[in-house]
Amino acid sequence: MKIKITSVLVDDQDKALKFYTEILGFVKKTEVPLGEHKWLTVVSREEQDGVELLLEPMGFAPAKIYQKALFEAGIPLTAFNVDNIDQEYERLKNLGVIFSIAPAQMGPVKLAVLNDTCGNNIQLVQMI
Amino acid sequence: MTYYHTQIQKLRQQLYSKDYLIQQVIQAKHFIDDNFAEKIDLNNIAATAFLSKFHFIRSFKILYGITPYQYLMAVRIKHAKQLLLTSKNITEVCIAVGFESVTYFIGLFKKMTGLTPDLYRRKKQLSRMDLIKV
Repeated sequence: MKIKITSVLVDDQDKALKFYTEILGFVKKTEVPLGEHKWLTVVSREEQDGVELLLEPMGFAPAKIYQKALFEAGIPLTAFNVDNIDQEYERLKNLGVIFSIAPAQMGPVKLAVLNDTCGNNIQLVQMI
Repeated sequence: MTYYHTQIQKLRQQLYSKDYLIQQVIQAKHFIDDNFAEKIDLNNIAATAFLSKFHFIRSFKILYGITPYQYLMAVRIKHAKQLLLTSKNITEVCIAVGFESVTYFIGLFKKMTGLTPDLYRRKKQLSRMDLIKV
């Protein structure tokens, strides 16, 4: 059994694809029409054969309640690793991304939290 | 400040208040990152952190969840995986990443990745060929 996929809940798949590719720098991997929605995944440019991130629509209403609760509490839905969080922070800020937590050291890691414009806080992490 | 931000600050205060000690352990981790292929031992590494061996192992495990030795082995295997994608043979890879025994290297590699170095290399080559076909 292998772990090949993870997901983020998004309120708009097209908007999410734009943000996750043009801003965060992921690459579209699969797009399969499924009626009202699609099976839409992206991968890291550096690991294109690696774990896929599903941009998951919220067809199930309770998912929206869950997403909203996490977002309002500032809790990240998921986290991505970066090599240099300070550089990544500057790059993303210049692209208009809003951060609720600027890069801050937490023991052996440095972390930051951004708004993905699709209803989620996303954490960036760098191992120091 | 969000709830999450408050929790982060609380945790930081609780777990990581000894900033100087943390920086010393991180420095030692960087020493491992930069010298993994050399013949280094716990005494060398603890010395870079200006800590006793016992205190160093304990502090490292609290920060990283593994001992310095386990971390050194993980770094060596990570680099071995990269070198296995080159034309170096298994013995050359073993030595290049700091192991002295090929048998030990193969056993540890299998324990940490689930594959022998040879199988890992072959699997990677096959998956590269699949990507090219696509």
